[in-house]
Amino acid sequence: MVDFSNMPTMKGFFAPTRFEADVYDCEVIGKVPAELSGAFVRLGGDWLYPPKFDDDSPFSMDGYINMFRFKNGVVDYKGRWVKTPRYKADLAAHKQLFGKYRNPFTDDPSVKGLDRSVQNTTPLAFAGKLFTLKEDGLPYEINCNTLETIGPYNFHGKYKSLTFTAHPKVDPVSGEMICYGYEAEGLETNDVFLYTINKKGEVTRELRFKVPYVSMVHDISITKNYVIIPIFGFVSSMERLKEGKVHWGWDDTKPAMVAIVPRDGEAKDIRWFKGPSRATVHTLNAREEGNRVIFEAPIYDSNPFPFFPPIDGSKWDATKARAYIRRQTFNMNSKDDGFTEEKLFEMNVSDLGRVDDRYLTMPYRYAFTAYADKQRPFDEWKAGNLGGRVNNCYGRFDLATGKMNSYFAGDTHSLQEVCFVPRKNGAEGEGYIMGMASNYAELRSELIIADAQRLEEGDVGRVILPFRATAQVHGRWFDESELPFA
Amino acid sequence: MREAMNGPSPAKLPALLTRRAFARMLATATAAFAITSGKIALASAVPSIGSRAIVSFHMDQPYLDRTGTAVPYYRPAGARSAQSAGLLSEELFRRNFIYA
Repeated sequence: MVDFSNMPTMKGFFAPTRFEADVYDCEVIGKVPAELSGAFVRLGGDWLYPPKFDDDSPFSMDGYINMFRFKNGVVDYKGRWVKTPRYKADLAAHKQLFGKYRNPFTDDPSVKGLDRSVQNTTPLAFAGKLFTLKEDGLPYEINCNTLETIGPYNFHGKYKSLTFTAHPKVDPVSGEMICYGYEAEGLETNDVFLYTINKKGEVTRELRFKVPYVSMVHDISITKNYVIIPIFGFVSSMERLKEGKVHWGWDDTKPAMVAIVPRDGEAKDIRWFKGPSRATVHTLNAREEGNRVIFEAPIYDSNPFPFFPPIDGSKWDATKARAYIRRQTFNMNSKDDGFTEEKLFEMNVSDLGRVDDRYLTMPYRYAFTAYADKQRPFDEWKAGNLGGRVNNCYGRFDLATGKMNSYFAGDTHSLQEVCFVPRKNGAEGEGYIMGMASNYAELRSELIIADAQRLEEGDVGRVILPFRATAQVHGRWFDESELPFA
Repeated sequence: MREAMNGPSPAKLPALLTRRAFARMLATATAAFAITSGKIALASAVPSIGSRAIVSFHMDQPYLDRTGTAVPYYRPAGARSAQSAGLLSEELFRRNFIYA
């Protein structure tokens, strides 16, 4: 028997949906720009069965992939579970068999040894294939037309890490993908395997190295010659797992560390820099200027995730769980391990920021991300009492001038991660922003499309779903040319 | 639950206070006040079906009705689907809806 009634947080808009769906020729308010041809693919999670433990992380939700297919000004929607071994085992047992986030010691004994990955983080199109990514397992290949799950993928056996990042980076100049796995040789190992994979999907390089302490390595940046790899206060241990805890705890005494790894170097060439306690979960971009590596990201002051609590028993501090767009500069000629840091904007933002990906590794001007503008109205009578606590705006942050342009979603809406869709052959920042809005008054989800250079004018179109879409972690736009769409 | 969200069904509502009825009651009350002295109150001149004051609207203006004859104002019937999350502490909210 499936029963979510005793889960106080899974109510209203946030109740599980648990169904697969197809909507052909979606309702549109406004218009869909005819030049948009491809798909906006979202990956996130939903609970097929309630979690075994109340204090588990939402990152344990079962993966759910959904796609808005744009063609000739018409949009079709399709949503499917990612049918992992874990999903199939739970469905067969009619209950949740898996325990806490990345802790197999809390699982039902019947699933010992089974792939635990829920595949709920980032969609990826590479070498003509669509994948789901989750950093505790291999990528899963997905049929880009049916969204049915094909299965785990290891790049013809050449990708040896047991895990694969949710945030590989594709070099827009070479077309190569820089990717990695951490805890690469198994649970609690301090190994990172870093790979270069060419645009045909062939592994061309592997570098193995160790991190100073086992920590979350969620995202990276690349420059022409380097890979920038931040690690920060999340810690784990086999003892911790055997005690039945979630994989990560927060250790405020651990310094934020950043590895600068030469793309064609060896492990001995890696430089580790140290800074104050920070949490760099997601990145924007990086570049080189002379002997300096310049890295920008929305960086949290401290632990952003209350479900990965402090290991010293102290209370999670909401006031430090704020991300600011920051610049960190690393002098590759320096003799010490310090680096400089600047806060580029005083307002806190969502750390799910995006740039025009054609400018990865290069100087760039614009970053896009969501933020909560408490000065904007929120109609609590229609939407419920959530004003000021959710992102209601997308911002275009001009790193050259310090100015910000803003799109407001409306007084009954919140916004998930923004995605930038460049106009073909357009200049940097020319194109559209796209992202999912939750309409709390109408109990439905809406895909926002706005001109990235005219955010104040509002959206040019909204694709309406007649239901709530599953929660998203990341969404990506894939052009018609990137995947073998029907 | 439905009633709490959207207000009582029309069958349970008191008779609609129209502009004409309102004017008629006002005239009655004024006349009563004019021909009597002392402690006659306006409210006593109009029929009352309850003692609870309600907020109502007349000509798009809100007012507090004590007569028991006006149609009470109910908020628009939005789904208010974020309400359950809005009641959570910041920690519980972030624990569950980190990327809401």
